[in-house]
Amino acid sequence: MLEDIKSEITDINVAEASYPERGYHLAIEARKENLLRVIKFFDDKGFYLEDLCCVDYADYLELVYFFNNHTELFRIKTTIKLTPDKPSAPTISNIYTMAHWYEREIHEFFGVYFENHPNLTYLFLHDGIDSYPLRKNRVPVSEDDKRLLSFPIPHEEEDTFSVNLGPQHPSTHGVLRVILKLDGEYILSADPVLGYLHRMHEKMAENRSYAQFLPNPARMDYLASLNFNLAHVAAVERLCAIAVPERAQYVRTITCELNRIASHIFWLGAFLGDLGGLTPFLYGFDDRENILDILEGITGSRLTYCYFRFGGLYNDVDDNFMDATRAFVKRMWKRLPMYEKLVTKNVIFINRVEDVGILERDKVRRFGCSGPVIRGTGMPFDMRKVEPYAAYGDMDFEIPVGENGDILDRYMVRMREIETSLRIISAALEKLPAGPFNAEKVPKKLKPPKGDAYHVVESPRGQLGVYIVSDESDTPYRMRWRVPSYSNLMTFPHLAQGTLIADAIAILGSLDLIIPEIDR
Amino acid sequence: MGKRSLYLETKDPIIKFALVEKVLDLARANSLWPLGFGLACCAIEMMSTAMARFDIDRFGAGLFRATPRQADLMIVSGTVTKKMAPTLVTLYEQMPSPKWVIAMGNCAISGGPFVFEGQYNVVEGVDLLVPVDVYIPGCPPRPEGLLEGLMKLEEKITGTRRFPVPQAKW
Amino acid sequence: MIEQVINIVGMANIRVIIGLTGILTLITVSTLLLTWAERKVAGHMQRRIAAKEVGPFGLLQPIADAIKLIGKELLTPADVEKPLYFLGPILIFVPVLVSFVVIPFDARLQVMDVNVGILVILAFSSLSVLSILISGWGSNNKYSLIGAVRSVAQNIAYEIPLLLSVLAVVFMSNSLSMNDIVEAQKGLWYVFLQPIAFIIFFIACVAETNRTPFDLPEGESELVAGFHTEYSGMRFALFFLAEYTNIVIVSAVATTLFLGGYNGPILPGIVWFFLKTYFLVFVIMWFRWTFPRVRFDQLLNFSWKILMPLSFLNLIATGALLKLL
Repeated sequence: MLEDIKSEITDINVAEASYPERGYHLAIEARKENLLRVIKFFDDKGFYLEDLCCVDYADYLELVYFFNNHTELFRIKTTIKLTPDKPSAPTISNIYTMAHWYEREIHEFFGVYFENHPNLTYLFLHDGIDSYPLRKNRVPVSEDDKRLLSFPIPHEEEDTFSVNLGPQHPSTHGVLRVILKLDGEYILSADPVLGYLHRMHEKMAENRSYAQFLPNPARMDYLASLNFNLAHVAAVERLCAIAVPERAQYVRTITCELNRIASHIFWLGAFLGDLGGLTPFLYGFDDRENILDILEGITGSRLTYCYFRFGGLYNDVDDNFMDATRAFVKRMWKRLPMYEKLVTKNVIFINRVEDVGILERDKVRRFGCSGPVIRGTGMPFDMRKVEPYAAYGDMDFEIPVGENGDILDRYMVRMREIETSLRIISAALEKLPAGPFNAEKVPKKLKPPKGDAYHVVESPRGQLGVYIVSDESDTPYRMRWRVPSYSNLMTFPHLAQGTLIADAIAILGSLDLIIPEIDR
Repeated sequence: MGKRSLYLETKDPIIKFALVEKVLDLARANSLWPLGFGLACCAIEMMSTAMARFDIDRFGAGLFRATPRQADLMIVSGTVTKKMAPTLVTLYEQMPSPKWVIAMGNCAISGGPFVFEGQYNVVEGVDLLVPVDVYIPGCPPRPEGLLEGLMKLEEKITGTRRFPVPQAKW
Repeated sequence: MIEQVINIVGMANIRVIIGLTGILTLITVSTLLLTWAERKVAGHMQRRIAAKEVGPFGLLQPIADAIKLIGKELLTPADVEKPLYFLGPILIFVPVLVSFVVIPFDARLQVMDVNVGILVILAFSSLSVLSILISGWGSNNKYSLIGAVRSVAQNIAYEIPLLLSVLAVVFMSNSLSMNDIVEAQKGLWYVFLQPIAFIIFFIACVAETNRTPFDLPEGESELVAGFHTEYSGMRFALFFLAEYTNIVIVSAVATTLFLGGYNGPILPGIVWFFLKTYFLVFVIMWFRWTFPRVRFDQLLNFSWKILMPLSFLNLIATGALLKLL
């Protein structure tokens, strides 16, 4: 790979990076002029764009592109430097569709102008914002951008009308607003509007120390807070090279899988509530309350956990936890056939979800989807197997995949994932080693060495990545969260075109979005 | 917060019968229909309260209406950002009176954990936008907390509390 | 004194007045109880106890709801079409009242024994869709309009299977009068002789009353609240109550046509009638909490491509068998 790149494109700086320390294999420093050639090279080799972010160093802005491969793990970090005043870069949204919204986000947070971008308007921020928030020094919004701030009113044509779906609606996704252009009942276009829950997590990370930021990831995705907590803690541990004891890794695995089951049960209830069947929501919550009681016993919270610390756990698990978890696993195996009978074999349900919202496999790479969305199309891509973290390397489990990529496949993938999680929990409980639950000598004021690190975790919705840049002080210089729902939501306008409203709601439900993690 | 919103005052009735007022208050307290307005993490705890374990339907408040025209109670559960603020005020104004607002969670009370030096997007408390009747602290508050808030609101409406105040056992 | 009043007014008219009063009482009490029953049925199917605190077993809950709705502000949004907006909720009750007039509650307990009773019911049940359309259009709201239009298409589609299955019963009983149909079921209820017609009739009834799995006009998670989005207070209460009254009337008609009306052994006829009717009401509520919603084009396909040919074949088979036997 190294030789291929060096032979193809000459005037770039390529350096190998140590994967355990940094989280990526190769670091390439390109320039604005040859960026498109480098991106095209990665596209030809079959890479997908994992993340695109920007870091504001004092004398230059750096755009960071992360590329990865579906077939074999090989992460490449590509950076280009931009001048701080009037920064501009070529757009890559014609090659990777995913970059369309990522570039809009960088534009409104950093003021970077992307040439030839089809629609460089504001995505997250509200009217009345007068500076670029994530810049280190206050940079006022330029005159061109001021006119992009006010939200355009959709243009009404003959025979079509626009309807707002949200931001307040009975579905349980959160504050998502979708502007639908309808022709009768058929949807001509669907534009999501984001930013109704933008809570400035990335700016807060720059203002707080590493330990003070610990409660924040839980609020980003409240249904899978332990997975987010794990991503944050593991990224810092990678940066500081802290070795976590085995017992802590196993407990992290068990609790993350319990959280995954709780999240999938909630998704099941919410998805069926969207379709009109309200009862499975209540049956599922029965199981979910069981999990919440177990986790409350060791963490102290019901929803937004902050259980992992740098180097291990907050406190050790006791016998109560192990007995309760074993009892839960036994009980859940008996409950799963009930869900099969009530939902999966229901003719009305199958007619609603079969052959609806089909995501083709070749589109998946352009959109950067992950999680059950990509596994529903038949690609067995799961970060727990591809890039094992915590104790997943010792576990032996199968990844469920679908066939066609319709809603029914995504539903089946999630139901099978509950079974996989139950098996992982049972195996981890058997193998739980004795020993310390915290690494020794972790300083109270953590000052990681200068550098950056990228860590990836599989949250119930997909691939979650944390990119931390540290400058040896006790607050991060930049913390970037690559959230799975952001790229999954990008498939929605493409999938919803030409369908009925009822189908669009079902597709939106099947993508399993959590809006606070998109809005961060 | 942008344009000033107009609050239309409903006029007092000409004839007041104390008994009629008492019956109306009792009926309103026992049949508070919430508006389904979940914003963030507290919304999940609000949904948990509507589920089988905590069951807010016992007290008559279980019919979550989708449209503000048919709701009496707005439970603001979650952070209110500056982009969402106009929508919230519009929804409040669309609700017919008598209406009440419960601010659930730290974010709705005063911005919660998202208030820091240089913050640019969070409205520090929903009582800057609409009048609030009951505040329920917590991040997120437990479902029992929301039920206690509902009891307090019923006490505010009728004057008497449904259940006695729980006594601490230690 | 009483004879003079009877001579002036006329015995038949007195019977109608007393009967209408009785029906209004019945509708009011029954609908209030049904709102309580819906919450209880929903609660127990979802493993919780709903409506427990307000009065014994929560029985005062509907009264609290009713008083609260009466005491709400009567809000009229700015740009509605006032005549249509005000007329919608009132018009939705008219077909129900008329339909109750011809239902036989017991052997001689019927307000008016019209000899084309079933035709009266079918004619007036088509009026309810008019009131939904009026409300949806007059609300000046896109969601209401989509909900109302869906309801019109759904109601029109399901009326034909309804009619054809009723015709099968009429073939067998040789009369359109409701009392005659019940009398003809003294030996064997029609549900055993015409099972297909009963199933088609029941499904069509659930679709006519806009209940799950056919509740798209009111599709909560899709369209805010469908055609009654802009209605508040007492006007919404009228829609709410009309839905439950509609359920009672369709169950009563199904009981009369297929389950033998007031026929039954030991207990008096009226008790049997109410038992059967409320059993069907319970089944309709059971559907709501079990099934998800059907998509709109699947709904119309189901009616036009499956139910209608099936009911037509049933009718032909009934006619042929009656001629041969």
